Amino acid sequence: MKKIFYLLISGWVLYSPILSNASLIEEKKCAACHRLSKIENEKKGPDLFYAGNKFQSGWLEEYLQNPVTLRKTGTINNPYFLKGELQNLQQHPILNKNDAVNITQELMAITLPGFPEEQINPLTKGQIAKTKYEFERTFGCISCHQSINLAGKPRGGISGPSLVNAGNRLKKNWVANWLKNPKIFSDKSRMPVYKMDDETRLRFTQFIMTLRKENLR
Amino acid sequence: MIKNFLISIFKYGFLILALSISGCGEKQAEKTPAPKKPLLQGESQPLELSDEVTHEPVVVTAKTRETYQWYCAQCHGVKGKGDGINAKFLTVPPRNHTKAEYLETRTDKQFFEAIKFGGLSVGRAPCMPAWGNTLNDSTIYELVRYIRELCQCEAL
Repeated sequence: MKKIFYLLISGWVLYSPILSNASLIEEKKCAACHRLSKIENEKKGPDLFYAGNKFQSGWLEEYLQNPVTLRKTGTINNPYFLKGELQNLQQHPILNKNDAVNITQELMAITLPGFPEEQINPLTKGQIAKTKYEFERTFGCISCHQSINLAGKPRGGISGPSLVNAGNRLKKNWVANWLKNPKIFSDKSRMPVYKMDDETRLRFTQFIMTLRKENLR
Repeated sequence: MIKNFLISIFKYGFLILALSISGCGEKQAEKTPAPKKPLLQGESQPLELSDEVTHEPVVVTAKTRETYQWYCAQCHGVKGKGDGINAKFLTVPPRNHTKAEYLETRTDKQFFEAIKFGGLSVGRAPCMPAWGNTLNDSTIYELVRYIRELCQCEAL
């Protein structure tokens, strides 16, 4: 009897952290705005069913405590999206540090399997300049995404998420995979599909990773 | 004093030079002649279109309008007036699709190419990306017709 009691207690002690973490996403009702699985219908917040592939955990922890606006007119499913009614934007709830850390840990475990790690080499200054030119002129990315101009100021359109701090926010491998095949993540994005050759795609990935808020002046 | 002045001239001169070669908003792009073959995004299929309409009549459907709202309206605006949410952040304003004065000087083929291969392919602003990997040709033909509906104009 005693053995069974100890077994139950030890099982509960071992299992409880998993249980308490698992319930935090439910407790905070993340699924009210975010898809946690691709089979759900579109929701107004960004998809989180590949959160572990996409986000850097440090950024996510910070974001959950101090949410910043990445999409000035809301996400693409927001009914006000095309109206640019910024005042109607719903702010993300603010979490305390403990909850932010725990939810981040839980979100990092939500991943889509099967992405090979790509070999992405750092860029030379010349390659950065070339890619910046292509980012703005060949592919027109800047029409919808804010990046950082030569004067160190945010510059670009607002319909896509801001890339001003993308290097701290996104995982390199996710950017490379998004550019290769966005349909894995979103059936209906508002961004054009680009068929870049691998060299260009990986150069773009690395360029996007150079965009960090520390570079703002 | 003179040294500082020279240094600042050098600095700002470099900045102006750098700015002049960057940005989708550069006016010069408007004057750049179109490349013979669009080179964008590895598109290798040759485009064989004549200025005459040689294919079946294209009909604008609710789906065409939906496609316009989903993709094009981000820059060209909900009503096609060139006032989408990105418009004020671009140095070259998105085309106003309700103005016949300019659009009647363009052929359907030019519209088609601008959508499929991007603005640069027809000598226009690079802000307009290529949609050829996102939209199929028949959808693009429909969008061309929809723009004609918005401007209430045909190619002269």
